[in-house]
Amino acid sequence: MTVTRRDKSSISPTAGGGRDIPASPSAWQRLIGEDGLQKWAFYAPVAFMILFFAIPMMLTVVWSVFERTQFWMEPGFTLFAYENFFNSARVENYLYSMIHSAWAVVISFALGFPIAVFVRRRVPKVAQHRVILLFILPFMISELVRVFAMRPILGRYGILNTFFMNIGLIDEPITVILFSPLGVIIGDVVSFLPFMVFAGFLAMEAVQLYVFEVCDDLGAGGVRTFRDVIVPLAAPGIFAGSVFIFVNGLGVALVPIILGGPGAVNAGLIVNQAIVALDFPLAMAISTIMIVTLIALLYIGHRLFDLTKILEPIN
Amino acid sequence: MRDDYSSELGHKLKWAYLLSIVFALLAPVFYVIYISFNEYGFGARIYEFTTDWYRVVLGDTMLVASLEWTIYLAVGAVATTIPMGLMSAKLYKRTRHKVGFVTLMLSPLFVPADILASSLLVFFKHLSGAFEWLGGALGQGWLQTWFELGFLTALIGQIIYTLPYAFVVILITMSRYHPQQTEAARGCGANAWQAFWQVEFPQIKAGVFSACAFVVILSFNEATRTALLKGGFDTFSNVLVSQMLNVGMSEESYAMGGIMSIVSMTVIGSLIIYTLIRSERLERVARAKAEPLMSG
Repeated sequence: MTVTRRDKSSISPTAGGGRDIPASPSAWQRLIGEDGLQKWAFYAPVAFMILFFAIPMMLTVVWSVFERTQFWMEPGFTLFAYENFFNSARVENYLYSMIHSAWAVVISFALGFPIAVFVRRRVPKVAQHRVILLFILPFMISELVRVFAMRPILGRYGILNTFFMNIGLIDEPITVILFSPLGVIIGDVVSFLPFMVFAGFLAMEAVQLYVFEVCDDLGAGGVRTFRDVIVPLAAPGIFAGSVFIFVNGLGVALVPIILGGPGAVNAGLIVNQAIVALDFPLAMAISTIMIVTLIALLYIGHRLFDLTKILEPIN
Repeated sequence: MRDDYSSELGHKLKWAYLLSIVFALLAPVFYVIYISFNEYGFGARIYEFTTDWYRVVLGDTMLVASLEWTIYLAVGAVATTIPMGLMSAKLYKRTRHKVGFVTLMLSPLFVPADILASSLLVFFKHLSGAFEWLGGALGQGWLQTWFELGFLTALIGQIIYTLPYAFVVILITMSRYHPQQTEAARGCGANAWQAFWQVEFPQIKAGVFSACAFVVILSFNEATRTALLKGGFDTFSNVLVSQMLNVGMSEESYAMGGIMSIVSMTVIGSLIIYTLIRSERLERVARAKAEPLMSG
């Protein structure tokens, strides 16, 4: 049913509390009316995001070519910050942290995506969202606490080592799982795994259940259904989840600081160190590289999988 | 077609796997809480229950001050983010440029905290310089302190961080609302505000309150953006980070981690329980309404 809005001038006082609207509104009423400020008020969040998010992100590129001064920077054009980055060990650290993040993505996918598929395929529809809600709780507990909590678990005398030694599986504590690249990967997985479940489930919601029935009727095995049907159909969600984990693994400094030990670095930590050293152009250059990496990944993903499909359930 | 539940064992194993992942994600947090109640802290052979470490934390004036700042920021974030989330969701419904709009609103989710914070830091330092010059040129002293690092800049950082979550939560709830109801209300003479407040809001309020809870928790837990944008005050998370890095993991650190976890779990746990009870009630009502039709 579509009800056509009546002409404002024809609205009369109603018993139901409707107001009498003057036939000819004053200039002030027009200004604050529905076609005036009220209409534009809805654009306030857009203006806010453009001013405080999009513009600073774009200006990052400009600041990255400014010249460094003792405590700040001044307008100019120099690629010194980029040279500084590419001709130092920082680029190697950046590449290593990319590899660690890629591992975190693979592990999160292997652990998290089957859960999204299981919930969509096997859990009754009315209960699906409730099951996914279970993952909200760990996701909403401070990442700081979750990462920090891994120390008493993974440490030399932590729960894991104590348990393995008590059951006789190992003789000496495993030290490679904390203050090492592996520790960083574990931290990334613990931090971001729920996001893979959410994004995967959102993508799976767009896959109709009869698709699975067709696969079953045709006798396709579980592996083939997963590889040839589920993954291609859920690709936008998988990709969005993967980019989220990859970029945050690369850029969140907290994880290598707490779990990585002395040598562990990622892009976020290099940016932090550059800011502490008051080398703002270098910090902006690394941020620019991160932003370009992110945009390139999202562009490729959109071209390949059409990421707008993730929003279909909402639309 | 193969029966979904033909392999009962397989089905149970899948459930066991799902629950074990949830457990694995939550267990470390529960362990931190467990240690925080031990008189002798982490690694001790003896466990003696105590709340002393919480008393130490809550008796420390610096920590209480940081807790107060955290609450002010959370209140500020809710007061600004929720109306903005509502307006964004309503605008999304009617805009023709959905892809561009949603890209702008959700992009902050994909930009790591340290990168966003450092860009905003440099942006605010430039903006502050510009306002200082402007205030001086116009002879308006009050303009000069705008965008100096402080509460406002930290709040802006938090709004950018929390707005995408509020937007998505409200949008999902709004997707179940039929806009014809608003048109009907307008047709009956209601103005835009009355149509929203009396017709639409009662149906989306669960989503709005959920968004409030999310924003409170995200704001309470946020550390990185606030650390760079806050200026002269500290939040609870900032103090915890600096303690962990400078002092190491003391008993107070565990108690602080415990406070953060308990607050998060209480708020989100209550929300989940409320959502479950509400959806159960709605289902019961729907079933009761459908029953006469089905039996007829």
